[in-house]
Amino acid sequence: MEFLSYLISGISLGSVYAIIALGYTMVYGIAKMLNFAHGDVIMVGGYISLIAMMNAGLSPWVAILLAMVVCTLLGVLIEGLAYRPLRAAPSLAVLITAIGVSYLLQNSALLIFGANPKSYTPIITGTVHLFDGQLSISYVSLLTVAACIVIMVALTLFTSKSKMGKAMRAVSEDKAAAQLMGINVNSTISLTFAIGSALAAIAGVLLCSSYSTLMPTTGSMPGIKAFTAAVFGGIGSIPGAFLGGLILGIVESLSKAYISSQLANSIVFAALIVVLLVKPTGLLGKYIPEKV
Amino acid sequence: MGELLNVENINVYYGAIHAIKGVSFTVNEGEVVTLIGANGAGKSTTLQTVSGLLRSRTGSITFNGENISHIPTHKLVNKGLAQVPEGRRIFLQMTVRENLDMGAFTQKSGIDESLERVYEQFPRLKEREKQIAGTLSGGEQQMLAMGRALMSHPKLLMMDEPSMGLAPILVDQIFEIIQSLHKAGTTILLVEQNAQKALRVADRAYVLETGRIVMSGTGKELSASPEVQKAYLGG
Repeated sequence: MEFLSYLISGISLGSVYAIIALGYTMVYGIAKMLNFAHGDVIMVGGYISLIAMMNAGLSPWVAILLAMVVCTLLGVLIEGLAYRPLRAAPSLAVLITAIGVSYLLQNSALLIFGANPKSYTPIITGTVHLFDGQLSISYVSLLTVAACIVIMVALTLFTSKSKMGKAMRAVSEDKAAAQLMGINVNSTISLTFAIGSALAAIAGVLLCSSYSTLMPTTGSMPGIKAFTAAVFGGIGSIPGAFLGGLILGIVESLSKAYISSQLANSIVFAALIVVLLVKPTGLLGKYIPEKV
Repeated sequence: MGELLNVENINVYYGAIHAIKGVSFTVNEGEVVTLIGANGAGKSTTLQTVSGLLRSRTGSITFNGENISHIPTHKLVNKGLAQVPEGRRIFLQMTVRENLDMGAFTQKSGIDESLERVYEQFPRLKEREKQIAGTLSGGEQQMLAMGRALMSHPKLLMMDEPSMGLAPILVDQIFEIIQSLHKAGTTILLVEQNAQKALRVADRAYVLETGRIVMSGTGKELSASPEVQKAYLGG
């Protein structure tokens, strides 16, 4: 029963990683860049929802919606101002810029909200008790897992069925060929950032709800873990991000429980190294050779 | 026969390298015009400049009476310009049908009719509709690239080395398709290294050499020219 409870908390944690990883992986798949500021957008989503609930007294659902809108705009703004001018630049320049944007967001939050952790009231409270109270699962955990599944299914349908989703895949494969089809590459990349950032907002609310605290560096570590999850599952692959996130969350939770809570992060990153050694494209990453 | 494409004195640079030096040519409605030349002569660069992927520092490109020199690539499809890029550049991880859908990305209506026409022209594509494009053979991939470009009902179809890397029997097939498109009234600008075959299907041709047009004439005239025979036709 104890194991089951750790497993469930791992799945819930993994679901948050998966939602963040989906944003990472979509942006990587289409813009071929690692948006290291993605984790900090989560933090912004956390603060916006907190202010909306605490200071403005809005309902949690309105708060989530508001956080999504703000983060979407922020994501599109970051892409337009910081990354778009570097479209033709070497990828290292883009990477350094992304790290710069990450610090900019963290320090802006530090200035505005201060360094002290703020306590975050979960958007829903309560727990379900199963097996005569031996196993309890919080509603936040259930909501997190459900949100992750819904998002994953919606994104899969979007990219496989909708016209814009297909255009995204076309841009991700070959930007020049996509332009020849009449696809506007810049607006497609903007749309990707918008979707990724809206997901980051949801992840922010769920993450803060399960940890009940929020500070300017809150998004940083989950951001890196989610990036690991995306690489683990095969960067660029939507089911890969989902699977990678879940596995990472479970590994982390079980390591904390049975091995050492201090070593948990090392174990998580060691798992990444092992996967990359055995399968360099990640679990579900594809390598399709070009026929000549 | 009106003038469909007029390229006037374009100069294109890759950094410090002057790749296209004052090239001018025209394509009239209903014609097949070919640009031939050796590797590195600037054929593909010229085509990419017309489609806006590269920009000229001088001159102008007029398509269907409109100056398109500064129009972004993705807006040209709607004006009736489609390109079959060098190396096919189909979307390898998407299905055949999805590739064709991308070809019709800007089309508001008539997509089913276009699809029917393309499938009629390339029955193989219909058979493999649901297959991932990366699993097609080289010849099938070239057909898909051509079919994809035709999905937008182009007024001008530009083809960049459609015969590249294909077995001789497939090369013949590709040129047969070019001829049948020509008969059906499609205007084609063809870039080819296979000068012999290109000159045979072309109404008119231009010879490019290190970024300059050094000769032009009808397909027949150039096939008969001793210089062209010596340089490009192996004898």
